[in-house]
Amino acid sequence: MTNDHRQRASAEDRDTHDSSAIVFEGVTKRYGDGTVAVDKLDLTLPAGELTVLVGPSGCGKTTTLRMINRLETLSEGQLLIGDRDVMSVDATRLRRQIGYVMQHSGLFPHKTIADNIAVVPRLLGWGKKRIRERVAELVELVGLDEALAERYPHQLSGGQQQRVGLARALAADPPILLMDEPFAAVDPIVRTHLQEEFLSLQRRVQKTIVMVTHDIDEAMKLGDRVAIFAQGGRLAQFDTPAQLLSAPASDFVVDFIGADRELRRLALERLDSLELDAGLTAPRDEIVARARSYLQQAGSGGIVVLDEQRAPLGWLDWDTLKQADDRARIDSLSLKPWRHRLYLHDNLRSALNALISSPGEVMPVLNAQGRYMGVIDQLQLTRRLS
Amino acid sequence: MNWGWVASNTHQITAALLQHVQLVGLALLFGFLIAFPLALLAVRWPRLYGPSLAVTGVMFTIPSLALFILLMPFTGLSMATSLIGLTIYTLLILFRNIVQGLRGVSPSVREAARALGYTPARRLFTVELPIALPVIVAGIRIAAVTIIGMVTVTALIGQGGLGQLFITGFTLSFATPLVIGFVLSVMLAVAVDLALVGIQYWLTPWQRGVR
Repeated sequence: MTNDHRQRASAEDRDTHDSSAIVFEGVTKRYGDGTVAVDKLDLTLPAGELTVLVGPSGCGKTTTLRMINRLETLSEGQLLIGDRDVMSVDATRLRRQIGYVMQHSGLFPHKTIADNIAVVPRLLGWGKKRIRERVAELVELVGLDEALAERYPHQLSGGQQQRVGLARALAADPPILLMDEPFAAVDPIVRTHLQEEFLSLQRRVQKTIVMVTHDIDEAMKLGDRVAIFAQGGRLAQFDTPAQLLSAPASDFVVDFIGADRELRRLALERLDSLELDAGLTAPRDEIVARARSYLQQAGSGGIVVLDEQRAPLGWLDWDTLKQADDRARIDSLSLKPWRHRLYLHDNLRSALNALISSPGEVMPVLNAQGRYMGVIDQLQLTRRLS
Repeated sequence: MNWGWVASNTHQITAALLQHVQLVGLALLFGFLIAFPLALLAVRWPRLYGPSLAVTGVMFTIPSLALFILLMPFTGLSMATSLIGLTIYTLLILFRNIVQGLRGVSPSVREAARALGYTPARRLFTVELPIALPVIVAGIRIAAVTIIGMVTVTALIGQGGLGQLFITGFTLSFATPLVIGFVLSVMLAVAVDLALVGIQYWLTPWQRGVR
């Protein structure tokens, strides 16, 4: 899993001059029958960041999203994009400047994929050539096969349709992108894949993105910041995923994030943020007697055997070592391999997973070239959590 | 069959056929011009749908002969009488199919059009109507075939296109005009139906290969 977008999130002071931050000031949405969908919301969504709105159904997260491009009208308060009050702008013009991705792609069944993507540029009156070039660019950007451009939506899979939906939303290069449960309708494997791709796309395009989901995992994985809503349209907490996990504001937030809060926190940190233990290692041509004495001195249950390139060959434990012939080379003994490879850029949750299935009490960590960098053990992880 | 009669009356037969086509075409046109705005209103305000359907439905059930006789005092033995009657019979079918076609546009497509910044008029003409087209054309096909048969009845008020051939055959107790009128009427219905299918195929490239 890639997590470098979180580094970005911590840089709070960047892009302050960018005008596309979204500001809710005392925003209330009340329906005709008196139901309050959103209740006096104060919220600032920073420019260039991905904010996820999450909460149980009926908490007003979708209404909040839809007020930004005026698909819903606010009853009270003010909603600003940059310094512009959305209610002072013509709704149709406003919507053409804001990308919108919906759950069931919402593609036009009577238009080809290329024409679907070209919808907003056409509404804006772009020239034919410019539209054609932009469409080609987007097809590539969202990872679609060019051959699909002349097909119709019903000829595409759900995942492909969702990509087209994203391309259509990005077509006129809007500074803001609204996404209403964009990955909910695709199967879990495709979803994970789309999420990863979407993150790397966002790293390149740096839009102000507001996404609604009911899936807290998705929120924590994608959001630079997450706004957790409670029933009745109240904001329970608005923070970075790391802050939500380490400092939840209320019992509701704790409950909503779920019982495996600690494990989720592990997922947010990478191994290179820890100081690795040098660990006990031996080259593969070491003899048994010497390896045995290392182990006894260190009081360890085993040793990591490395090859000439310092890549781990396997785990040599005390039981194997003590029965072996003194003068034998250790790589002639039966070494236990690791089922997982752990790299510095992996997160601590993957590390824990690898540790559980490790043959020894430690797990070697590799750099990008596959060389041994040190080991991690459970004690280090536990210490990290407390 | 008396082919000699056919040869010497080609002019009369052609004129009857042309008038038939003209009556059908105009009735469909006027029917559409009335049903379309009515359907838009009924989609926009669903409360109007029931009453509109009831009114057009009752009109559809009036026996055709009775309807023409009812109109006679106002418009006489004119083409107007014939056209008004025929138009009335297209209304129910056209109205119902236009409404159903527009209602069949999926809410997410409608919503997407709104969210991407379509004006309501542009949404109607470039999104909703094209998607509703197959259902609307289906209505036009039924209306056309219904009307093609019904035109012949208006021969009784001096109109009637190919229906005049029936009158001729009946008064002369002579089978040839009856057969010609019948065959041409059926052929016209088939031709119009096929033409409409062709137009629909050409206008809805996204539907090819579906179903």
